[in-house]
Amino acid sequence: MRKLKPLRILLGLVGLGIGVVLVLALREATLSTHEPVAAERMELVVHAKTKGGEKGQTLAEMVEAQLSTCRLEVTSDLAAPIESLGDGNFRTVLSPALDETDRKQFRGCVGDWLIDHLQMSVVELQDLR
Amino acid sequence: MKVIAWLAGIGTLLAGGFYMIVSLNRWEWNRALFFGLIVLIAEVGLATGLVLRRLTRLEYRMKVDPVVAQILRETRPPSSDRFAWLRQSTRELNVFITFIIGGGIIISGIAWVVDRVASKTSSPAGEQRLGRQLGAISYPSGGLLLDDVTVLAQEVPGANDEQIRQLLRRSGSP
Repeated sequence: MRKLKPLRILLGLVGLGIGVVLVLALREATLSTHEPVAAERMELVVHAKTKGGEKGQTLAEMVEAQLSTCRLEVTSDLAAPIESLGDGNFRTVLSPALDETDRKQFRGCVGDWLIDHLQMSVVELQDLR
Repeated sequence: MKVIAWLAGIGTLLAGGFYMIVSLNRWEWNRALFFGLIVLIAEVGLATGLVLRRLTRLEYRMKVDPVVAQILRETRPPSSDRFAWLRQSTRELNVFITFIIGGGIIISGIAWVVDRVASKTSSPAGEQRLGRQLGAISYPSGGLLLDDVTVLAQEVPGANDEQIRQLLRRSGSP
């Protein structure tokens, strides 16, 4: 049996430690922990752009489709129609308001690749008083 | 060129892994899946490259010095002529003919034994079984002729034997 050098053992242990820390950090970052929220509604502003999409599909339709999908993940409704602010920006209101975990999940969903030829990002997501 | 390929593979693996973790951290599952697929492809490519490189090294190690191979070929002992007996004169009773005749006698003996055993195994039970099987297609025990009583009985109202009527039709009776 081949003898292992101490340096290799040390490097292996360091790599193992980094891997364990990484997995634990990722677990913490993706864990759902819900808590009560004071606000009832939230304002959402997103930026969207499309390239090479199907003919007859407008950017507003694609934004609506993606937001409708994402709000199902966080069980919050679109409490106001989606209005265009120009320059690819769109605004709407979510009700009820989202807690910290749901906000991360909703931001991730909006920025994810759900609909072909559409790229979206959250510009603003804040409580409405 | 090989170095560039290896660097491209390793770079793709690292970048794909990095973006996969970032996407997971941002809760962007589809992006994470996509980058995970990139990582998998790069990993398979690199693993295949490593295996091929190791095989190439083994092949190089197993190559024999051509001078040594030449010496071994020249000093190879002559192969024994295993079929020399086929070239002997046909007038001699050699091993080949002996083998044919001996084999024929043995096979004939085996065939005779099989024939004797088979002839003794046809038992009365087999004949009885055959008789039962033939019973289904045998003639009726009384023959095919109808007596007068049976013919007259068909005139009685309510009597309707289809087989008897069929026999009467064959014999020309109404």
